[in-house]
Amino acid sequence: MKHLCIGLAAGLTALFSPPAYAEETIAIFTKNLTNPYFQAVRVGTETAAKKFGVRVIQFVPTKPDSIPEQLSQVEDVIVKKPDAIVFIPVDYKALVPAVEKINAAKIPVTNITDRSAAGDFVAFVGADDYSIGLAVGRRLLNAMGGKGNVVILEGVKGSLTSNNRVRGFTDALKEFPNVKLLASQPGNFQRLNALQVMENLMQSFPQIDGVLAANDPMAVGAIEALEAANRKALVIGINGSREAVDLIKSGKLLASGDFNGFIQGCIGVEIAVRNLRKQPTPKEVMLKPIVVDKTNFAPYDTPVEQRACPTLEEVSTN
Amino acid sequence: MSVLTSKVVVRNQLAFSGDIMQTFYRVLAVALLCLALTALSDAFLTANNILNVLRQAALLFLMASGLTLVILTAGLDLSIGANVALSGCLAASVIKLTGLPLLGVATGIACGTVIGLANGVLVTALRIPSFIATYGMMWMLTGITYYYMAGETIHGFPPGFRQLGSGHLLGIPVPVYFMMLFLAIGALFSQRTIWGQQIYAIGANPIAARLSGVPVERRLVLVYAVSGAMAGLASLIILARINSAQGDIGEDLTLPAIAAVLVGGTSLFGGSGTVGGTLIGALLLTLVLNGMNLLQINSSWQPLATGIIILLAVWIDSRTRRISE
Amino acid sequence: MSTHALVQFKLARVPGVAFALITLCIVFALTSPGFATAINIANVLTQSTILLLLALPMTLIIMTEGLDLSIGAVLTFSSIVLAIVAISTGSAVLGLFAALAVGLCFGTLNGVLVARLDIPPFITTLGTLGIAQGLSLVVTDGQSVVGIPRSIETIYSGTVVGIPLPIILAALAYALTHALLYQTRFGTYVFALGGNREALRVAGISMRGMLIRVYAFGGLMAGFAALLMTARLNSAHPTAGIGMEFDAIAAIAVGGTSFERGNGWLFGTLLGVITVGVLRNGLNLLAVPSSAQVACVGALVIVALFIDGLRGEQ
Repeated sequence: MKHLCIGLAAGLTALFSPPAYAEETIAIFTKNLTNPYFQAVRVGTETAAKKFGVRVIQFVPTKPDSIPEQLSQVEDVIVKKPDAIVFIPVDYKALVPAVEKINAAKIPVTNITDRSAAGDFVAFVGADDYSIGLAVGRRLLNAMGGKGNVVILEGVKGSLTSNNRVRGFTDALKEFPNVKLLASQPGNFQRLNALQVMENLMQSFPQIDGVLAANDPMAVGAIEALEAANRKALVIGINGSREAVDLIKSGKLLASGDFNGFIQGCIGVEIAVRNLRKQPTPKEVMLKPIVVDKTNFAPYDTPVEQRACPTLEEVSTN
Repeated sequence: MSVLTSKVVVRNQLAFSGDIMQTFYRVLAVALLCLALTALSDAFLTANNILNVLRQAALLFLMASGLTLVILTAGLDLSIGANVALSGCLAASVIKLTGLPLLGVATGIACGTVIGLANGVLVTALRIPSFIATYGMMWMLTGITYYYMAGETIHGFPPGFRQLGSGHLLGIPVPVYFMMLFLAIGALFSQRTIWGQQIYAIGANPIAARLSGVPVERRLVLVYAVSGAMAGLASLIILARINSAQGDIGEDLTLPAIAAVLVGGTSLFGGSGTVGGTLIGALLLTLVLNGMNLLQINSSWQPLATGIIILLAVWIDSRTRRISE
Repeated sequence: MSTHALVQFKLARVPGVAFALITLCIVFALTSPGFATAINIANVLTQSTILLLLALPMTLIIMTEGLDLSIGAVLTFSSIVLAIVAISTGSAVLGLFAALAVGLCFGTLNGVLVARLDIPPFITTLGTLGIAQGLSLVVTDGQSVVGIPRSIETIYSGTVVGIPLPIILAALAYALTHALLYQTRFGTYVFALGGNREALRVAGISMRGMLIRVYAFGGLMAGFAALLMTARLNSAHPTAGIGMEFDAIAAIAVGGTSFERGNGWLFGTLLGVITVGVLRNGLNLLAVPSSAQVACVGALVIVALFIDGLRGEQ
C-alpha cells in the first residue's frame, strides 16, 4: 500500500514537473477558473507567448476570487523567481501587499484589467469600464428613442468593474432626461442570479423597456427571463463574448460593450516581454471602448483560440 | 418481521405523528409569511409572482429531496453542488454534440447517480465519515468540472429541452410538476415501503437496524445514489432555465439545500423528518428571498435573513418537539 | 488506560497524516528545487498560521461532537471590526480588543444556542454563519476597508530572531490550546463531552457551561486570527474568510481526529494543517494546473481518511 502510494505520487509529479526555465518565464495571475473573461485573458497570454517565444505559467485560485489564496500563490511564485509577472488582482485594494512583495523581490510586474490601488508596475493595460458603460448605455438609450423605463443589473457589489460600468450607465442616463430608471440591482455578474432578479423586477414593474446589464452573462439571464415571460425589452451587456455575438446575430441582444480579455492578455504579455528585452514600453494602454452590434460583430465571431494577437502599435494608435 | 423491526416500525409511526405536528407548525409559518408579504407588497399575490416562487422553490426542493434521505440516515452529502456542476456540464456537451436532448437528460441523471454511488462506496466500503467523504468528493468533482470546461460556456439548447426549465403546462411552470411528482414519490417511498422504513431505522439506531436484518450498506449506497440522481435532475432543470452551462453553476446550491432540509424539520441525527417537511422548508426559504427582492431590500441582508430564519425554525422545532413528546 | 495502551494508541495514529506529510515533503523536495529552501518553508508555515488558529479550537469543538461552521465568517467580521476601530481610533490595540470582543460574542452566542436551546451545532453555526457574513456585507457594502495603521501590518511581516512573527503567535496559540486540553480540568471535561457525557452528568458538572466555553473559545481564537488576517491583507474584506471553516475541518480530519467518536488529537490537527499547506505550496511551485490542484485537495482528504480507516480500530 505504501509503495503504491509513493509510486503513484512520484509518477504524478513526473507528469507535472516542468523542465528547467530555459526561456523567459512569465507568471500570469487571474481571478478564477469559471468566468469566461479570464479564460480569454489566459488564451491571450498563451497566444502571445507563442508569438514571442516565451513561457507562461497560469496561477488561478482554487477557490474562485479567494484573496488569501492569491496572496499565497504570489508568495509561492516569488520563490521560483519568474522573469516577469502579469497580474490581475482578485481585489484591487486587498492584494496591494502582494504587489509590494513582488516589487521587493525585484520582479517586473504588469497590471491588467483591474487597476491595483498601489504598487510599482511596468504598465497598466485595461479597458476603461466607465467609458464602455457610457458608450453602450448611450447606444441603448438612443435605440429606445430617448424615452421609456430602464433597469440596471449591477455586478458584484463593491467590485471596481461594476462600480465604474454602472457609473457609465448612470451618466448616460443623465443625457436622456425622459428615460426613467426604475431600479438598480446587483446580479453578481452571474446568469442565474440576474435571471431571478429580472423575474422579480418584472413583477414589480409591468413596463420595462430597456435593461442595462453590467456584463454579458447577466444580459443573457435577463433575456431568458424576458422570453419566459413573453415580454420584450432592449438589452445590452458588456464583454463581447461569443454568446453575446450569437444573440446579437439573432436580434435578441442589442449590443455588447467590448471588454476584451483576449487582447488584454496579449498586450500584457507583450509589454512584459518588451520590458524584459529592454525595449521601450508605454506606461498605460487603455483599450478604446468599442460597442459590438449588428454592424461590426464579425471579428468577435471567431473563437478566442483562433484569433491572433494585435500588436501594441495597433492597439495604442487605435 | 422480527420483534426489533416491529419496535422500529412502531417508533417510526410515533415519530410520524410527531412529524405531523412539526409539519403543521411549518405550514402555519408559510401561511403567516404569505400573509405578511401580501400586506407589505402589492406584487406578491399576483399569479406571476406565486408561480415564480413555486418554480424557484421547486429547484431547491429537487436538490434537497434526495438529500433528505441521506440526512435521515444521519449522514450528509456536501457534494451535491459540485455534482450539479459536473452533471450539468456533461449533459450540456452531449446535447450540443448530438442535438438529442433525451440523450443529454440521460447523461445528466446517469452522471449524478454514478457520483452518488461513488459517495455511497466511500461511506460504506471505505468507512469514511460522510461529511469528509462528500467534502473530498466535492473538491474532486469541482476540479474535474473546471478542467473539463476550461473556463468556457456552453450555450444554446434546443427549445424542446428548454421547456424542462422555463416551460409551462396548463399555465404552471414545468419544474413545479417535477416538484409534485417527487414529493409524492419521496413521501410514498419513505413512509410506505419497507426500504423507506429501513432508512428511518438506520438513522434512528444503526446497530439495532443491522441486528434486525436491515442490509445497512446497501440502503446507504441507495440513499447516496438517490441524492446524486436528484442533483443530476436538478442540473438539467438549471440548464434548461438559463440556457447555458458553466463550471460554476453548482456553487451556492449546497448550503441552501441543506438548510431547506433542516428548516423542514429533518434531524441531523437521523431517524426523523419527512420529504414533505423539506418541501415546506424550501418554500419558506424561497419566500423569504422573494420577499426581500420584492421589497427591494439590499441584497447584502439576504445571508443575514436566511441565517436568522434557519435558527428560528430549528428553535421553534425543538420547543414544539418537547411539547408534543 | 495504561501508558502502554496510550503509547500504542498514539503510534497507531501517527502514520495517517505524518505519512502523508513526509511523502509530500520528499516528493516536492525532489521535484521542485525551490521547495526545500528556508524562505519557502517559512512561507508555508506562515501561510498556515491563520488556518491553524481556526483549527485548534475547532478540534476541541469537534471533540464535543459539535461543529462550528461560522468560524470563517466570524473571522471575516472580526477583521472588519478590527479595521474600522483601528482606523477610527488610530490604535491597533483597541482594534484587536474589538476583534476579540466580537469573536467572543459570536462564540458565546453559538455556545448558548447549542447548550441552552439544544439546537444542533450544524444548524446553529450555519445560522450564525449567515448572520456574521450578512453583517460583514452590510457594514462594508462589499468594499475593502483600507487605511489601516501600518503597525498592524508588521504583525504579519515582522520577525523575531529571524522567525516570522505569525509562526511565533501560532506556536503560542498551540501551546495554550494544548495546555487547555491536556492539563486543565476543562480539557478533561472536553474529552468527556465527546466520549462519555454520562460521567459528566453523574459528576454533576454543568455540561452546558462547558459547551458554552468551548464555543466561546472558538470565537475568541477567530477574533485573534482576524488580527493576522487583517495584517496579512493590510485591509479587511468581506470575503476574506469564506470557506475557511471547511478547510479547518478537512485539516482536522486529515490529522486523525474522529468525528464520530470524539477522539481528538491536537498534534494531529497541527500536522493536518501543515500537510494541506505543503500540498498547496508544492502544487503551486510545480505549476500544476489549477483544476488539478482542486482535485488534489479532495484526493488528499479522501486518501488520508482511507489510510486511517485501514489502520484504524473502526
